[in-house]
Amino acid sequence: MDILVSGVGGQGTILTSKILAKAAVLNGSSCARTGETIGMSQRGGCVVSHVRTENTFSPYIPMRSADLLLSFELCEGARNIAQLKKDGIAIVNTAQINPVSVSLGVSEYSSEKIKKYISDNSKAYFIDANAVVEKSGTVKAVNIVLIGFAFGLGLLKISKEAIVDSIKQNVSSKFYELDVRAFEAGIACAQNI
Amino acid sequence: MKEILLGNAAIALGAISAGVNLVSGYPGTPSTEVLQTVAKYNTDGNIYVEWSTNEKAALEVAAGASYSGARTMITMKQVGLNVASDPLMCLTYVGVKGGMVVVVADDPGPISSQTEQDTRHFGEYANIPVLDPSSPEEAYQMTKYAFELSEQLKLPVIMRPTTKVSHASGTIDIDENPQLHKFDGFVKSPDFVIFPPLSYRRHIEIEKQQAEISEIFDNISFNSITVKSETGIAAGGITAAIVKDVLKELNVEEKVSFLKVCAVFPEPRATYKKFIEQTKNILVLEELDPVIETGLIKALADNKITDVTITGKIDGRINPAGELRFDTVKKYIAEFLGISYEDNSAPAVELPARYPVLCAGCPHRASFYGVKKAMKGKKSAFCGDIGCYTLGNAKPLDMVDTCLCMGAGITVAQGIKRMNPDTNAFAFIGDSTFFASGMTGLANAVYNNTNINIIVLDNSTTAMTGHQPHPGTGKTMMKTQSREIDISSVAKALNAGFVETVNPYDLEKSMETVKNAANFEGVSVIIFKAPCIAVSKPSSLYNVDNSCVGCMHCINEIGCPAMYVENNKVHINDTLCFGCGLCGKICPTNKINVASKEEK
Repeated sequence: MDILVSGVGGQGTILTSKILAKAAVLNGSSCARTGETIGMSQRGGCVVSHVRTENTFSPYIPMRSADLLLSFELCEGARNIAQLKKDGIAIVNTAQINPVSVSLGVSEYSSEKIKKYISDNSKAYFIDANAVVEKSGTVKAVNIVLIGFAFGLGLLKISKEAIVDSIKQNVSSKFYELDVRAFEAGIACAQNI
Repeated sequence: MKEILLGNAAIALGAISAGVNLVSGYPGTPSTEVLQTVAKYNTDGNIYVEWSTNEKAALEVAAGASYSGARTMITMKQVGLNVASDPLMCLTYVGVKGGMVVVVADDPGPISSQTEQDTRHFGEYANIPVLDPSSPEEAYQMTKYAFELSEQLKLPVIMRPTTKVSHASGTIDIDENPQLHKFDGFVKSPDFVIFPPLSYRRHIEIEKQQAEISEIFDNISFNSITVKSETGIAAGGITAAIVKDVLKELNVEEKVSFLKVCAVFPEPRATYKKFIEQTKNILVLEELDPVIETGLIKALADNKITDVTITGKIDGRINPAGELRFDTVKKYIAEFLGISYEDNSAPAVELPARYPVLCAGCPHRASFYGVKKAMKGKKSAFCGDIGCYTLGNAKPLDMVDTCLCMGAGITVAQGIKRMNPDTNAFAFIGDSTFFASGMTGLANAVYNNTNINIIVLDNSTTAMTGHQPHPGTGKTMMKTQSREIDISSVAKALNAGFVETVNPYDLEKSMETVKNAANFEGVSVIIFKAPCIAVSKPSSLYNVDNSCVGCMHCINEIGCPAMYVENNKVHINDTLCFGCGLCGKICPTNKINVASKEEK
């Protein structure tokens, strides 16, 4: 399975891809790969991680062949739609992070146009993950909510135990319980649609 | 134990498995995680790990350890090797005793670098072997092997991952019980003193060794040939992995011969000969420079073969710059084979541009803004340097007029001042960069009495590469605390005439200090001291009152990513605000203030 994880630097794409890749291996996959954006883009730029859970040589997903896209920010979802299969599934957080170019008035952020583009080019699920995590207290868990949502839709082909175990192995003990709650909250959202 | 590891972590654990005794380096994307991973796994402290002041220092520290028989690894990005090239070139002549692996990460794209230079050339230049892994798994095996090869040859070995190996992860079965390499210690020998007669003798030996290494690389699993037809593809590094996936996707695995070259220099000559003898048409795919392609063309001449066509970068078929991604490789291969392929480009949509920016609350924003306001209307040149503060070039700050390489801001400013005496020449440099290569530039300015203004942006960390400590912090990778070096004292010791330290958030004081520095005849140094937001805690957050008049002064002046506009009023995203208060200081109507708890 090929999964893309996109967002803005600082939203936790790298942690998400690590959790997914490790969960796939815990679930029995012989080789999982990830490809990351690390470096200058982390300073509020566009970031995308690739996760591949089957045996490929290269870690980067070709155009139009990802099965699933998890995006932590609306327009970053649109930016990576071209990587998704034509019938691929996009799970997109509707919360916007306005780039400085928009505040300065040099580019436009039209959420309706962007949503339409995403819907036209994928099977899209929009979720206000920021509102979901607000109850648990930290916007940092948006990434885990989206993992939960994808799992809740039955898209991940990985057992719940493997995902929870992978969360445990990848986050500090301080955040573990909070993240498991965010994971459950994501599953609940998927069940309520 | 199966672990999912970044290529850089795989190199680190490969080195630990080989019993590495000392690891030194200077941070630089995409290489930084190698040394950090060694430090992370070094829980018993048996491996000596240090961030050195720069790559030259790192390589020389490692040379001393290698002379003593210790196994050493040095880490840097490609441009770092330019800095370390002096010791590296000489070390080939002196040789090493304990295995030495020089990890140099190249950055096709480039994604986070000034150049697209190809480190494989450095192998040829310095006469030392270069290994170019195609995956994190191969990087792990190669690193272990590189130490043995280095000891066998008594030469340093370059391990050259590229970004998409360094920053990709694979599933690796790691050695759970690594043993530290045992060594005898330093034994005096005339061989460690480089002199012209020794260099002459060594040069002859080094050239002889090239043929020996070429033979080793002819018989190594990192290089391979699969013969299927007279049509062949040659590739190395990450591109070799991509080519394999593409051949599978195009369903031509059984129709195309494939040469994989990951032990790339000295070129495996017999392997090249074998490949060109069995193929007629060869496409070479490699990122950066045509190194494998040149090797194959040389092999044609060496073997007097005239009926083989080699195509790639030299004849202009392949784009000389940038990465080779899956879809580009697919297009090149399909066109070369004359088969059709599905074009997978998607419909375009206009999306808001999102460039990397200085973080909300970044002290550099306040520093740049203070200098900009102080020098408004005065003829000035702002020379930048390498670090987060290169992002000060973005609008609306627009405060970087030049950027060349590490430490160059201070010296470029001197050249500008000499030829443009009526210009106020400013140089901006970060704290880590100041220690890496700024001090000699400062000495040069003082010695030659060049009237420039140096602004040290001291945020107490090496921020851009992920917050590494440096001599100013005194924290080390061995978890100890050294005596911190105070930049102000360094500037005074180098006899700059004007040295002041200010808090950049104190806007008025900053502007006054900048004006005084600009009026000072001689070298002035201002240290803007405030910690990076990543190494400090946020203060009280700010918010904008509902009565905001929407003049947009704050956004148009400082461009903070936490501020956004809705219904013609400015708002602050409280998950991004760090409470620096710069916006509040410049709001003409005093509508931006510390948020009360209820408002948050």
